[in-house]
Amino acid sequence: MKETQLKILQYISGIGLFFFVGAHLLVSHLSSGDPTTWVSVSGRAASSGWLAFYIFLLIFGIYHGLHGLRTIILEFSTPNPVVKVLNWVLLAVGLAVFGYAVYIPINAF
Amino acid sequence: MEAKAAGSEKHHLPNRLGVKGWVWAGHYTIERYLYTLHRLTGLGLLLYIILHLVMNGFRLGGAESWTDLMELFGNPGFKVGEYLVMAAFIFHALNGGRLILQHLGYTLGSPKPPVYPYVDSMRRRRPIVWVMGVVIVGLAIYVLVEFVA
Repeated sequence: MKETQLKILQYISGIGLFFFVGAHLLVSHLSSGDPTTWVSVSGRAASSGWLAFYIFLLIFGIYHGLHGLRTIILEFSTPNPVVKVLNWVLLAVGLAVFGYAVYIPINAF
Repeated sequence: MEAKAAGSEKHHLPNRLGVKGWVWAGHYTIERYLYTLHRLTGLGLLLYIILHLVMNGFRLGGAESWTDLMELFGNPGFKVGEYLVMAAFIFHALNGGRLILQHLGYTLGSPKPPVYPYVDSMRRRRPIVWVMGVVIVGLAIYVLVEFVA
């Protein structure tokens, strides 16, 4: 993919995160009641709507975070061969984190 | 050979200042410090996401393991950390919105003739920074009040 396309995806994921993380923080940290109890957490994990919500949150969050990290690293005059390795490493890390994060709700409850 | 060197330089402009350039290279405006803070909060939030996912892994240990962990997070030290994460998110999200609007050209305004005293586009957009700052401080105070309450 071209750098401009990656950048546009960075913007789109950033806008998505604004709403997804905002909703997550409102529900998990600022709402009344206790949303972090085992019953609340397992209830959300059993809901397909909440699972879809968290999967979108994960996709946007992982892409936005790792692409942001890549942007910072590339500013340090990174040579082309290193950039290629970095791209593969970040892709592998992103997929591994996504797999681990999805594995938890599927297997924990 | 020179053309090749010039082409290579085009792809890898030397960053002679490195990380130090984030903080000081002389006569930085407030936007440059917002850039630095955007990166610091971004790296902090990325680190937090990793820790958050590791913490979520405690669910695999069952209800008891999860409840023990939540009791630990009731500690005031963790609450302060949680608030700082939320404040970092508020700043990063709003400043990111400003950067998107700016990069896509929506806040550039119409061209003006270069009449003395010259006002560059950065200073013409400065009110957006002040408005953003007020909203960030307002939201940070609101979240703080919610936390304390």
